Amino acid sequence: MTDTRLKRRRRLSAIFTHQSILVLVLVGLVAVFGIMEPVFFKPRVLFDVVAIVGEIGIMAMAMTYIISTAGVDLGVGYNLQMSGIVFGMVWVSTGNPVLSIVAALLTGLLAGIFNGLIISRTRIPPLVTTLATMYLYRGISMILAGTQTFTGFPDGFRAFSTTKLFGFLPIQAIYLIVIFLIMNYFYERGALGRNMKGMGFNEKAIVFSGVNTRRIKLGIYSLMGLLCGLASLIYLGRLSAAKTSMGDYMNFEVITAVLLGGTSIMGGVGSMRGTFIGVLIIGTLKKGFTLLNFSGNIYNFTLGILLILSLIVFALEEERKRMAGREEATSAAAARPASQTPGDNPPTG
Amino acid sequence: MKKRRTITREATLGIILLAIIVFLSLTTSFFTKSGLYSFMLDVSPTVVAAIAVGMVIFTGNIDISVGTISGFVAYTAGALVKAGAPMVVFVPAAIAIGTLLSGINGFITVKFKVPSLVVTLAMNMVHIGFYATFLPQSGWIENLGPRFTWFGRGRILDVIPYTFVVALIVSIVAMFVMKYTRFGRALYAVGGNRQSAIFSGINPDTTVMKVFLVQGFLIGISALLRAMTRNEVMPSVFVGRELFFISAALVGGISIFGGSGKIVGAVMGAALVYLLSIAMIYYGLQDYYQFALQGIIILVAVFITVTDFGKIRKRMQRGKLKVAIND
Repeated sequence: MTDTRLKRRRRLSAIFTHQSILVLVLVGLVAVFGIMEPVFFKPRVLFDVVAIVGEIGIMAMAMTYIISTAGVDLGVGYNLQMSGIVFGMVWVSTGNPVLSIVAALLTGLLAGIFNGLIISRTRIPPLVTTLATMYLYRGISMILAGTQTFTGFPDGFRAFSTTKLFGFLPIQAIYLIVIFLIMNYFYERGALGRNMKGMGFNEKAIVFSGVNTRRIKLGIYSLMGLLCGLASLIYLGRLSAAKTSMGDYMNFEVITAVLLGGTSIMGGVGSMRGTFIGVLIIGTLKKGFTLLNFSGNIYNFTLGILLILSLIVFALEEERKRMAGREEATSAAAARPASQTPGDNPPTG
Repeated sequence: MKKRRTITREATLGIILLAIIVFLSLTTSFFTKSGLYSFMLDVSPTVVAAIAVGMVIFTGNIDISVGTISGFVAYTAGALVKAGAPMVVFVPAAIAIGTLLSGINGFITVKFKVPSLVVTLAMNMVHIGFYATFLPQSGWIENLGPRFTWFGRGRILDVIPYTFVVALIVSIVAMFVMKYTRFGRALYAVGGNRQSAIFSGINPDTTVMKVFLVQGFLIGISALLRAMTRNEVMPSVFVGRELFFISAALVGGISIFGGSGKIVGAVMGAALVYLLSIAMIYYGLQDYYQFALQGIIILVAVFITVTDFGKIRKRMQRGKLKVAIND
């Protein structure tokens, strides 16, 4: 390995980061859909992508926290479903919008706290906990709603997710950006974000450095729950009917968005910006498929393939980084005098 | 000093099972010819599938796409029967499809070192999407005729379904394999401690790959046992079945971390999960209580598995109980 090749590779990998590739994919997708269906380029349609991923995006941000700690929440879609149905029930029986909103948010929060308590206080792994509570929440919402559909929400409530700023920009864009800025701040700058990523790498090490990881876990799963509740409200405003099929497969969309964005499922590595772009890619696919009159099943199928591919690409990327690191280490060792072992620190100055 | 007799988990399960059976027999029409027949018919596929899922869980992996794989198996069998294939063709072909699909899961898990749960979650979606998109009529085939159903509906002495006999044979073979073969012990070793498995000459990757193939084979059998009782196949009825299989295995005491558990536990777990659902039907609770119940069952079962009661008891004896399960 010569020096110039190494340099070129470094320069290339600086340009082709995961995120820049993602942006290219996003632009490519928009272009393809736009060529296949020119109406896609109209601002109203194009920005509708943001509107349809409002709820997924909000949940994906909290999911980025969770997956960074090497956890996962499989039940987000059904938590959203349960919160939405509670909202519908309270609205239909009392007609009080404030009470309904509070009830929905509380339901989501409580469901999240329940997950968080189990995960932080027992040794049950997050995967299994949330797999079980996924079925539990789904069951509860089926028991609550049966085959009923709750409708007739007031226009004031619906305005929270149907308003278009300047005639084309959906209000979801504002929600997403605000939540993104807050979550990204804590993720990238504070000790909290560092600890969360650290938990993904090596939880014991973080515990021994004096961090209360239990509290972090309880916190992030509760936050996830609260945001599921919020997402259910935004979703309901757009859909205007609460029924048991809402939120099906949404857990899967959320996880795909996060993993697509370059957060490692093994934890420790993550990017909130990547998640944001991942969400937009999912939205573009969803909108594009709808415009092309593809069924929801093709969308699910594509998303499944996409998730598997992004898992594989990420695994290969990690492998390549490890190999590149080793190559650099060996070439550096070869450049040094023979008396030095590769483990020694290079002389300073 | 008197030797302390410990009650094994399987014995506890057995007692619970017996209690439920006695209770159901006394209060409902469970203990009649038709009640027993339908119970055995329903429980057989779940027993085989719980063993399959359990074997994968032994190695510390999990497959949640087994429900949708079953759908493919059933569809393959149905389509081949419709095309006029005899039983010696469609049964092996359907099982081969199951083995192949499960093998793909195993391959991705092993080759790229990604968690099997996420891989199989994605596969779940791929399968569901595939049914509706690429299979004619979403894979619905009807009027398969007695050539398809004679085995599934056949019974010995008018009570014991053939499918139950198959499930029994599979259980016995699986118990034997887990206890006395190199492969069976390797499953425990890989799940228990990967590093020491490597040092004792076991290749964990090959073992995991093999167990996914075995799982696919068993899921193939399980799906056929269920499909062949009906005159039609519809892949989507298998969506979500994995819930029963996984909770059966976990209730049976197979540790979610891998490395411990018994096949007999999975068999009993399957029986328990089914008895509970039958009890719900007898007592008029609607079908959708199932989801909530199974979720709670999984949580409780796993909680019992991960909690070290021996340690807690010792601490209590020493008089300083600290509820610190986490460490």
